[in-house]
Amino acid sequence: MFRTQDDLSRRIFVICNFLMLTLVSVIVLLPLWNIMITSVAQDKDVLAGAYLLVPKSFTLKAYTRIFNSGYIKSFYNSIGVGVIGTIFSMAITIPMAFSLAQKNLVARKFFMGFVVITLMFDAGMIPLYVVVKNLHLINTYASLVLPVAMSSFNLIVMKNFMTSIPESLIESARLDGCNDARILISIVLPVSIPIIAAITLFYFVNYWNKYFEVVMFINDNKKQTIQILLRTLIFEPDSAVSGGEGVYNNTKMAVMMMGMLPVMVLYPFIQKYFVSGLMLGSIKG
Amino acid sequence: MNLTSNVANQVQLKNTSKTAKFFKEVRKQKFLLLLMLPGMIWYIFFKYLPLLGLSLAFTDYGFRPKVSFIGLENFKRLFSSTSFLIAFKNTLIISFLNIVFYFPLPIILALLMNELVSLKIKRAVQFVVYIPYFFSWVIVGSVFATMLSPSSGIVNEVIKAFGYDPVFFMADPRWFRIILVGSYIWRNVGYGTVIYVATLSTVDSTLYDAATVDGAGYWGKMLNVTLPGIRSTIATMLLLNISHVLNVFEQVLVMYNAAVYSVSDVLMTYSFREGLLNSNIGYAISISLFTSVISLILVMGTNKFSEKFLDESIL
Repeated sequence: MFRTQDDLSRRIFVICNFLMLTLVSVIVLLPLWNIMITSVAQDKDVLAGAYLLVPKSFTLKAYTRIFNSGYIKSFYNSIGVGVIGTIFSMAITIPMAFSLAQKNLVARKFFMGFVVITLMFDAGMIPLYVVVKNLHLINTYASLVLPVAMSSFNLIVMKNFMTSIPESLIESARLDGCNDARILISIVLPVSIPIIAAITLFYFVNYWNKYFEVVMFINDNKKQTIQILLRTLIFEPDSAVSGGEGVYNNTKMAVMMMGMLPVMVLYPFIQKYFVSGLMLGSIKG
Repeated sequence: MNLTSNVANQVQLKNTSKTAKFFKEVRKQKFLLLLMLPGMIWYIFFKYLPLLGLSLAFTDYGFRPKVSFIGLENFKRLFSSTSFLIAFKNTLIISFLNIVFYFPLPIILALLMNELVSLKIKRAVQFVVYIPYFFSWVIVGSVFATMLSPSSGIVNEVIKAFGYDPVFFMADPRWFRIILVGSYIWRNVGYGTVIYVATLSTVDSTLYDAATVDGAGYWGKMLNVTLPGIRSTIATMLLLNISHVLNVFEQVLVMYNAAVYSVSDVLMTYSFREGLLNSNIGYAISISLFTSVISLILVMGTNKFSEKFLDESIL
């Protein structure tokens, strides 16, 4: 008697729980679905009024319109900054992480402190703006890369990974007469491929998503990124960048899709790394 | 006398051999140090120079040819400015709402997901709720503006279907803060959930068995095994949230407009406008300095609180 009642309440709970989690998933996905189907709808369908859940037509006209307009420039800018920035970021992060991971590095404590302090005290945006301005970087693509090129978080995560590489592996290479450069290239880098892949993705998504730095450092319309274009299209539809009023909803949604594209494509890989706890525990210690 | 000078000599000898050893090490490790160089230069230029730049808060720096030291003038102006007080108030209200409504949600969601028997469904839900975390605030803001649009948004279609007039949510001061909190939750809830789910999976399952043997029911296990298991994560997340309390910025910068300034202008957006649009650099930096100091106090305070009541030191 007691037991069956317990079973019943358990079953009700399981069903409610399932419904609840389904609802949460729907709240996340529904807007994305709406945006996607609007971006591939015909002009007449989006003009006819609300366009919600059931697709009425399929056309890539909104996308071809973007490719034939000035909008596409900002998409290319974002890709360019993302790719070049990520390469640059990795080029300064990997060597520094490797050095910091060597236990016998001179003044290692000092160097680590130098990095960790910046995690606790951040000057904020206006002092950074003053520095960028005085380096005469305003309105250059370099201003979209240099000031945000390094992330202490990524650096520490990579350093921790490299520290965890078995000592014996490195020692035996040293006995074979390998110097530090050889150890980095033929032992540490191959072993660190998972972390390098993860941090490459993080850097890229970070560059891609930058917004207020672009607002601060760039005021030339030709150098804007897709985030700026999207913000203007959605929130200031009648400004000059948007191309005046009357931008069709399907075009706006297509720009939004393009703004989400890299994140959506890379997402399965990123979330794999995050869920595996690689990033979570590794910042401590 | 002789003896002391002897000792001093020895100490000196020891010191020189120490520095000599140090320089020998430096020479031996020049490759490692060379690898550090680009990164160190980056840190000096883009982390440490801005920190020095904070001292501009005591000047009238504003891209005029002459910069002069004006002491606490900027701070006096700050505390007597109504815009600042409004921004401070808005920051506290928005952060408070974010913490109260956002903070418990990932814990609840993670506990619910932990109850799922099917690993596949658990992974699928986790996969879905985590997506928005990787979108920029521009994307998240645009998603909300689109969904809440009075002419074509899904929310207003539902409102119209019930026979009410559409609401222009994004320009309505009564709604705007709710939208900020809602979009904050929509973007971040997955991140928190993933962290709690990961922590829950590390709770030792033998503890549950032991609790069952001791006759603990569902809630008993929850109270005595599950919650203590994620306590330190809760403390860490709370600290993280509190350290960001005064840093609400990009979200508001993307989503606000003149119609809702009165309820949404926060310290950082105020500083941003003063510094970049009005070129009041010194004044703008005094706002960020104020923000940093208060944040630091909040973090230290939370850590003390956590040490005392949760037996967990986070820092």
